[in-house]
Amino acid sequence: MRRFIDNDYLTVLLRLAVGITFMYASVYKIIEPASFAKSIWYYHMVPGSLINLIALVLPWVELLCGLFLIAGINYRGSVVLVNLMMIVFVIALTTTIARGISIDCGCFKAAVVSSEAAWDSLYFDVVLLVLAAQLFFSRSSRWMLARR
Amino acid sequence: MIFRQILVIVGLSVILGLGLNTVSPNKIDVIGKYRSLSAGNGPIVPPSASEGDPPFIAIDLAELEYSQGTTLFIDTRDPEEFECGTIPGSINIPFDYLPEENLEQYIDSALGGATLDQAMIAFCSGEECDLSLHLARNLQAMGYTNASIFFGGSREWEKFGLDIEKRRADCADL
Repeated sequence: MRRFIDNDYLTVLLRLAVGITFMYASVYKIIEPASFAKSIWYYHMVPGSLINLIALVLPWVELLCGLFLIAGINYRGSVVLVNLMMIVFVIALTTTIARGISIDCGCFKAAVVSSEAAWDSLYFDVVLLVLAAQLFFSRSSRWMLARR
Repeated sequence: MIFRQILVIVGLSVILGLGLNTVSPNKIDVIGKYRSLSAGNGPIVPPSASEGDPPFIAIDLAELEYSQGTTLFIDTRDPEEFECGTIPGSINIPFDYLPEENLEQYIDSALGGATLDQAMIAFCSGEECDLSLHLARNLQAMGYTNASIFFGGSREWEKFGLDIEKRRADCADL
């Protein structure tokens, strides 16, 4: 099991998969902060005065983490942040679905309001969390531009 | 080490996020003005609603859409009521006075060439008035995909202390 988790090829593949997903997810939010703010508002979990600030900063955290995961710069910090974000996203989606609030997850863009979309997003986020967890536990450090 | 890396990433994100926002055409206020949700009250949905109707939204979402300034608010009441107190910036499409012929052209023209995916919210005076529902159904049938209904209407808007726009002075009796 340990050898599997530490496998260099698996780790670099997941760095690419998680990194590209995070970078892709951040682009629309950076371009359309108002739409992303609305998505955050739908979750009803953040004080109103902080919604816009989070909408402005969080997409950049996602973009930089994605970039750093792939490049292997600030690697451990990026891995920890990616895992933290995924845990928060999964908790937010789960509690929102449990409370029966119909939302658009705001994962990639903000658009329709539906509970089906929330379930799909939750499945997707859980898978992404598993992938990110592998990066957290893997000790592989090949193909990185900087030391871990 | 990890903590320092996290600080670098978050710090860079704050600088880039707030910095880009100052020059972005899609700039937003750093501190948003969102109303806290009131006791989980959902949208008002009338008994006449049926499956497949455009979504009904509550006062807090209506206010959020209003504050973002990109959603078209449509007052469906008579012109007199519209002029005597409406949500600021609304347009008036009085559903009771719509022409029988060329209805779609009339609505298209009243919407001022809005695209089919333009966000729009139809409203009336309040719970006793179905006009917003009827207009939103028409909009949906015409292919407008982003229409919703604020059934609380101008009365709920006013009750929450939000701005009302009056376009005439002699409104005492209305």
